[in-house]
Amino acid sequence: MATYEAAFLTQKCNLPTRTIKFEIWDTAGQERFASLAPMYYRNAQAALVVYDLTKPTSLIKAKHWVAELQRQASPGIVIALVGNKLDLCSDAGADAGDDEDGSGDSGDARKVPTEESKAYAEEEGLLFFETSAKTGHNVSDVFTAIANAIPETSLKSARGPGAASGAAGRNEEQRVNLGGPRNADSKEGCAC
Amino acid sequence: MESLSDTLWDVVICGTGLQQSLLALSLSRSGKKILHIDPKEYYGGPDAALSLEEAQRWQAEHASASATASSIFNSATILQSPEPANLPSRSYSLALSTQIIHTRSALLSQLVSSRAYRQIEFLSVGSFYVFKPSSDAQIPPTLSRIPSTREDVFSTTAIPARAKRSLMKFLKFVLDYDSESNAEVWRSHADEPLTTFLASQFSLDNELQAYVLALTMSLDQNVVTRDGLAVINRHLTSMGVFGPGFAAVYPKWGGLSEVAQVACRAGAVGGGIYILGTGIEKVVDQAEVDEPVEVVLSSGTTVKTTWLVLGTEDQPEAGAEQISRLVAVVTSPLASLFEVSVEAAPAPAVAVIAYPPGSVITKDGIASEQPVYVYAHSSDTGECPIGQSVLYFTTRTCPLAKALLEAALESLLTALESPQCLYQLYYQQSHGSTSIQSKGTLVHLPAPSLNLAFDDSTLESIHEAWKMVMDGKREDIDEEYMVFADREGEILAIKSKARVCTTHFISIPSDAA
Ligand SMILES: Nc1nc2c(ncn2[C@@H]2O[C@H](COP(=O)(O)OP(=O)(O)OP(=O)(O)O)[C@@H](O)[C@H]2O)c(=O)[nH]1
Ligand SMILES: [Mg+2]
Repeated sequence: MATYEAAFLTQKCNLPTRTIKFEIWDTAGQERFASLAPMYYRNAQAALVVYDLTKPTSLIKAKHWVAELQRQASPGIVIALVGNKLDLCSDAGADAGDDEDGSGDSGDARKVPTEESKAYAEEEGLLFFETSAKTGHNVSDVFTAIANAIPETSLKSARGPGAASGAAGRNEEQRVNLGGPRNADSKEGCAC
Repeated sequence: MESLSDTLWDVVICGTGLQQSLLALSLSRSGKKILHIDPKEYYGGPDAALSLEEAQRWQAEHASASATASSIFNSATILQSPEPANLPSRSYSLALSTQIIHTRSALLSQLVSSRAYRQIEFLSVGSFYVFKPSSDAQIPPTLSRIPSTREDVFSTTAIPARAKRSLMKFLKFVLDYDSESNAEVWRSHADEPLTTFLASQFSLDNELQAYVLALTMSLDQNVVTRDGLAVINRHLTSMGVFGPGFAAVYPKWGGLSEVAQVACRAGAVGGGIYILGTGIEKVVDQAEVDEPVEVVLSSGTTVKTTWLVLGTEDQPEAGAEQISRLVAVVTSPLASLFEVSVEAAPAPAVAVIAYPPGSVITKDGIASEQPVYVYAHSSDTGECPIGQSVLYFTTRTCPLAKALLEAALESLLTALESPQCLYQLYYQQSHGSTSIQSKGTLVHLPAPSLNLAFDDSTLESIHEAWKMVMDGKREDIDEEYMVFADREGEILAIKSKARVCTTHFISIPSDAA
């Protein structure tokens, strides 16, 4: 099933010293034929590249996207590599492990060893997690880690080329508002 | 997922220019199966905004001097470029067909009703200037700001009191130019040049005529009264619609290119499949009228579709009017051009400069016969790094067009304390077909207009194509056109778990912490 209902969502993440509001843009399948628009790259301060722990080819594709991001996105981008469907792996973390004791090898669909991806992530300087979107395992940790990894200084700055050199704050007073605030507060989702 | 060739597509759209992309947006909630491809490796087609690397490749593809080649663009030359290593290619987004959008344009209301506007940052277009050459070589030329509201005319010191009254009278007239009594004044002069009308009916001197003519944004010195008045009326009535001090907006990151990207994204969110770098090799003749069309893609795959929608950016009309463009990157923020002129107005990111005919002189001493326009874009447009600006020059193509644009650039730099120029790209753009054409289920959308401001008639053919595809015989179908509810509301209903998908990009709004 492709992602076509999820286009854009927001999520709040509470850190001890600050609260961060994420705007999350799903690539809506445009990644399938390597046809992402620049709007994704330059708006992004962080990227989540997700592969399927039960499909080795998905890690190969994920690596392609990491390389693409390193080439195209703004230099300071935080990239998190995430192996998903941990619930299908018998060596899974807490959630999956707890509720299946007799599953044994037959229940283990893992095809990508943790060590392999972890080593790759370390080499490339990526955050690395294994998650289950089904059980929610580790999902909030991914967002917390991203929030922690984004330098405080870049938080309020303008996005895109030259963002680091700071056109800070000007954005808001410049933006022409065609119809109410861009994201009304009442519409915030919060899964953190 | 079914493979491309196994699917019976409802619509295959080729090209991601503004029009095709808006069509994809309009169909994004229709549930139709849509395959949207583009032979180019980037979104936007003739409306694209290019990085320097892309611009270099684009130039090579459009270098041919012939206007009958397989593109509406021709004669592209890079006149100046530093060592590539010295400029970060991706920090630039140079727009191929820059257009500003009047605040009353139906494009904006459609972007709002379709909810696509949320992903676009609109910036304001600020002051309009008239370029004034200097008769003394020791004194640099100047730019004088056009007062375009009545308050503005009152407060300006550049115009003598008597002239002010005439200008005021004219502005008041245009605001209501279609009323019975006012129409009587201009109808009999409708096909005369506007300048003649201004002199005879409002006794405007040359200088004031130049101000008024600049507001028409017409590349034709002899723009007729009927057309000129309509455009000035649009300009004046667009003032203040979304805030004080501006009549037009410009989408950040490359103008219409950004609108095309956002529209395509909406198409993808609606389930459309996107493939760049893939065009159409061949359209197989239909055996029967009711049979699906077979299309061979450049990748070799054959797909079947009910409707096939194409652009006409590859079909210039022979002998049609052409415009010449020069895009220049300069090493100055040009701050004086982007000052806020009205209290509480948003800081403008675009300024407009008009060169009246005769005010540009080539190296060989030949003067311009037609107006030249410049859009100055600050780095706030995201089209260049901070500390630089992009200048987009446009004039009607004539044998001297290139030399004239180069001269216009040089004299503008002199007027602006001589910043350095880093990069210059020249090209010509010709008119393609101006109306939608269809044969069975094969639809050709018209080529982009050569106007400097977005032309709402562009939207008509998209609406028409939408109706064909939707089989729009139902009476009230037009009410559904481009009117969508927010998707955000829908997704947040599934709020129990964060969905983790293939690739997500995250940005933190500046009001974060
Ligand atoms: N068991 C299990 N299934 C999952 C998990 N996450 C996603 N799925 C399933 O995997 C399938 C694909 O999920 P999507 O979220 O649509 O994947 P995607 O990568 O976003 O797909 P595209 O948007 O088409 O690129 C769906 O059937 C999900 O229910 C997980 O953690 N565990
Ligand atoms: Mg998805």
